[in-house]
Amino acid sequence: MEQQAIVVKNLSKTYKGGVHAVSDVSFSVKKGEFFGFLGPNGAGKTTTMKMLSTLVNPTSGTATINNYVLGKQNNDIRCSIGFAMQGITLDLTSSALENLYLIGALYEMSRKEIDDRIKELLKLLDLEKVAKSWVKNYSGGMKKRLDLAVALINKPDILFLDEPTEGLDPVGRRKVWDYLKKLNKDGTTIFLTTHYMQEADYLCENIAIIDKGKIVIIGSPTELKEKVNGTLDDVFINYTGHEIYNEDLNTKAPDPYIDI
Amino acid sequence: MFKKELVKFIVLFNRGFKQAIRPYVAVVPEFLMPIFYFVVNSSAFQKVVDLPGFNQASYLQFYAPVALLVSVFMSSGSTGIETVTDISTGFMDRIFLAPVNRWYIVISKLVAVGAKSILSLSIMVILLALFGASFHGGILGFFLIFLLAFIFAIGWAGIGLSLAFTTKNPRILQSSYIFFFPFSFITTSQLPLNLLTGWYKTAVQMNPVTYVLEAMRSILISGQIGQKVLVGFVVAVCFAAVTLMISMWAFKKSVVR
Repeated sequence: MEQQAIVVKNLSKTYKGGVHAVSDVSFSVKKGEFFGFLGPNGAGKTTTMKMLSTLVNPTSGTATINNYVLGKQNNDIRCSIGFAMQGITLDLTSSALENLYLIGALYEMSRKEIDDRIKELLKLLDLEKVAKSWVKNYSGGMKKRLDLAVALINKPDILFLDEPTEGLDPVGRRKVWDYLKKLNKDGTTIFLTTHYMQEADYLCENIAIIDKGKIVIIGSPTELKEKVNGTLDDVFINYTGHEIYNEDLNTKAPDPYIDI
Repeated sequence: MFKKELVKFIVLFNRGFKQAIRPYVAVVPEFLMPIFYFVVNSSAFQKVVDLPGFNQASYLQFYAPVALLVSVFMSSGSTGIETVTDISTGFMDRIFLAPVNRWYIVISKLVAVGAKSILSLSIMVILLALFGASFHGGILGFFLIFLLAFIFAIGWAGIGLSLAFTTKNPRILQSSYIFFFPFSFITTSQLPLNLLTGWYKTAVQMNPVTYVLEAMRSILISGQIGQKVLVGFVVAVCFAAVTLMISMWAFKKSVVR
């Protein structure tokens, strides 16, 4: 029997004022799987991720993350996950080294473990040269990569990624993709949200599409595309009724599939 | 276990301290303002010492503790803005994702602000000495002044922290700067209590800052460590305890989402 990394049952979140961000969502993610969680803006993707990462309390439903029960074993969950959130969640008046060291220490890593991990991550994400500069002086892409490094500092079993390549140029995006592929190959379960359908198609083994707080379809990219006899864009439009905006398709940006 | 928890607290304290002093140039006005008050008021009110009942030989000496206290106000006054910045940039969520006791986040920040106020006070003592002020009370006196500043800074920072967690709005935090004026001016900063009258005297007596200032004055000007100092410490501790409880409550409400 395959082991599950994430099991979600009837998870719901209603914010103050009665806004139903997520309604009765159920799905599971296998250990070592690369799972895509797609949906239009405001569909409930980020709220779902924030619930699964212990940042937001669910209104109802249950979830287990790495076999730890959400709400009861939150610290164990925190130790076993990494989360690169939408936007930048860095201390801008500190350096990359300071950011990484702080978070590493909070995960109870030893000085040597942190130093080794920092060295590895800075090299992988091409941040070695700016490691001692204040983050506020970084480009958007550098901040994004550092944010990913911070999420990876504790070598998480499960990695949540909320639009990790948003704002990256094609070269940077490709580097992140390659790194994520490698991470996944090495056994990390990855839970990804993205507006780039090509990204989901390229990276994910299974995809769930959420709309208005409810999951409308789950399957592998191939299965989903077969259902509409088209591309993943067609699947998205067909099941959500939303047009994909130009910026979501990223038509203005160079093709992320370019060879580098 | 204890060592691991201590390490977490220390790294959060370090980060809170660095945040409070960075960028370094932003700290300069925290010294300029008390120095400005000190130079202007000690010059403008020189003749006030001739008033019957003033009982001080020099207004410069009388005003020096006020400048020190203003520097404590200044050094701890940006805590709310710093916290709102952490919330709005998502850095607070980054900390929440780590397996760390939530209370460390608040307490380490307040302790860092208290430490910064000691640093500011040390620099101010040197600056005021350069401007002609002299201080009494010896090593014990300075130790007590630093301890008092540390406690009071935590109390003052607690107000900003409470507003930050409650409103999460940088504009409101900037506006909250106005609290500084009644708290710092409606005190015995300009004249001793025996020369004040009417509602103003009552307001001064109700202001906790008055007692902290009087304790500082008692130590630094007359070198006396007696009842005024004890009262100053009791008031400072109570003030800090109240604002700490309010900021904890506001923090708890803000993290339950």
